[in-house]
Order: sequence, then structure tokens, then C-alpha cells
Amino acid sequence: MKLSTAASLDPPDSVPAVDSGMARAALEAQFDHLIAANGPALMRLAATYTNTASDRDDLFQDIAVAVWLALPRFRGESSERTFLFRVAHNRAIDYLRKHRSLALNVEAEPTLADSRPSPEAGFAREQQGERLRAAIRSLPLAHRQILSLVLEEMSYSEIADVLGISETNVGARLNRARHLLRERMEKHK
Amino acid sequence: MKMDAELELWRTQWQAEIVSPVFDDLRKRVNRQSRFMRLMLAADVLVTLVIGGGAIVWTALDPRVETALLLAAVWVFIGAAWIFALRNRKGSWTPASSSTTAFLDVSIRRARGSLRAVRFGAVLYVCEIVFSMSWVYHDVARTSPMTIAQFIALPTSLAVWGVTVAFAAFLVWYRTKKRTELAYLLGLQTELAGE
Repeated sequence: MKLSTAASLDPPDSVPAVDSGMARAALEAQFDHLIAANGPALMRLAATYTNTASDRDDLFQDIAVAVWLALPRFRGESSERTFLFRVAHNRAIDYLRKHRSLALNVEAEPTLADSRPSPEAGFAREQQGERLRAAIRSLPLAHRQILSLVLEEMSYSEIADVLGISETNVGARLNRARHLLRERMEKHK
Repeated sequence: MKMDAELELWRTQWQAEIVSPVFDDLRKRVNRQSRFMRLMLAADVLVTLVIGGGAIVWTALDPRVETALLLAAVWVFIGAAWIFALRNRKGSWTPASSSTTAFLDVSIRRARGSLRAVRFGAVLYVCEIVFSMSWVYHDVARTSPMTIAQFIALPTSLAVWGVTVAFAAFLVWYRTKKRTELAYLLGLQTELAGE
């Protein structure tokens, strides 16, 4: 009798039943729309929590599963974007819990791209973007979270809603994050 | 929010990275994981039905005081396990769309609940083994008398001891894993709260 040992040790999330037929088709359409519209933003978010492209893709797929499971409960209390980013950040935290080695990089120095001048402007822009992303990835989690949301053009109130902190706290945290990011970018100019 | 020049530049650079997600098997994977989670949720009910139902059927086919005692014990163990599981899960669920802070709080509660479940699982398993092995010894010795030492050395008994050792090892591994997770989550909470 192994009840409440192996099977119950780790309480899983409640899995809402999705009625078949039209309701399911509507959910699938909503899901496809959300992922298609926000896919690149979610990929960038996933990248702030991971170190490699394959980990990022893994986390993105985990986020997609979590969004699909949470979607039947979404009643429009917040904007779709806020809902999506809440689910995504929560899944990312869960991903870090399961893959704790990834967190070792939290305070590590950024592995910045070669910043030597390039004759090609496009390539230079790409390098600048890569430097920014690498610098953000090297920041502590709280700063990574706030910056990734701000850079996706979310308002203070939306960010406060996603992270569960006050708007004042969002401002204070953003100031520190910007200061730290600026330092890291300057250091590796 | 008014974006200043620096933020505007960072935002442009940030959003310039457009990595499109791979959609090929996304739907397939989503469905597979949904099914798996439903199966996990059904596992407790399945265990109850198989073991509890099996005990009822056995007692009906072989009505004796001993089988009635076994049936009662099985349902006491099942009841204890369900009560613990339901109490332990209380407050350890939150919508996946809750805020990060709330989600982290619940993750910590879950990790603590898992550690409680390890302790409960160990105690329940010992009670089950003591009762069921005593019951089996009594039942076997009724038809072919033997000493307790002989019973303990029977191949079937040895298999039970083997399973017990494996289960104990699993519990130790699981407890270590959950302790590490709890420490990590508490560290994360401190880090986020410190900001």
C-alpha cells in the first residue's frame, strides 16, 4: 500500500478538465494566438533564466505546457500578457528549482561577445544586442526579472502584478537593476 | 512608463533578438504532458481501488475472521493515507498564473509538505509491514507450522525485505532532494525579498 508515499509525495498541480468539442477548439485557438503573438518575447524571457539554447527551448516548451494548463482558468481578470508572463515566470522559477545548476551562473561574470569594431553595422548591432543579453543573464534573478519585463514594454502596474510586489518596489528594483547593468556593460565595453 | 533614451536603446537591442519558437511538436508535447499529469492525479485513486477493492473481493471469497481483520486494517491504512494526503496538500496549490511571490511561497510550502510526507510514508510503511508480515506469518503457520526465524528467511519474505530496503533508499534520496530544493527556494525567496 504505497498511497501517499510515491504517488502523493509531490502534489501535482490541479489539471483542469477541458471539455471536448467547441470549448476545446476555442481554447486551442486562444492558445495558438497567445503563443504566436508572444512566442519571441517568451523565448527571450526563457533565455534570461537559462544558459544554453537547448535549455532555453526546453524551458519555452515547459512554459507552453503551463500556459495550456492554466488557460481554462483564465477569466480575464488581468490582461492576456500579464497572465502569460506570470505563468512564464512561475514556470521558469520551477525550472530553476529542478535544474539548480543553472542558478550557479546567477552572479557569474557575463560571457560577452567579442566587442571589437566590425566594418558591418548590422553585425555590430548584433554584437551590442548580444552584450546586453549576456550582461542581463549575469545579473541576480530579481534584476533579470525586472529588466526582462521592462524591456518587453510592460508598465509598472503590470510588472507589479506579475511579480507580486508594489509599484514603488518595481521602481526601486528597476533603478538598482539599471545601475548594475550599466556597470557590467561599461566594464566590458 | 516613460522610457528614457538608455532604456529605449536597450529595449531596441533586446527586442532585436527574434528567435521563433519551434512549433513542430509543441501541441503533441503539451497533450502528452497533460495526459501524464492526469494519470499522476488518478494514481492515488487507482491504488485505493486496486488494494481496497482487492481486499473486499478477497474477504467476500474467503470469509474468515483473519480476512475480515486484514480488510479492516487495509482500510485503516488507506484512510490514514488519504487523510494525511488531503491535509498535507491543503494550501499547497495556487494557480500557475499567480504572482511570482505567491508562487514561490506555495513552492516552499510544497517542499515542506513533501518532507512531511516522507516522514509519514516511512511510519506508515513500517506499520503496514509489521501488520502484514505478522498476518501472513499467522496465516502460513496455520497450515505449515514454522518458527519466526524460518518465516523471515522464506524467499517471499526476503523479497519483502529487499523491497523495504529499496523503499528506504528511495525515501532517503527523495528527502535529500527535497531538502536541497527547499534550501534553494528559501535562498531564492531571500534574494527576491532582499530587493
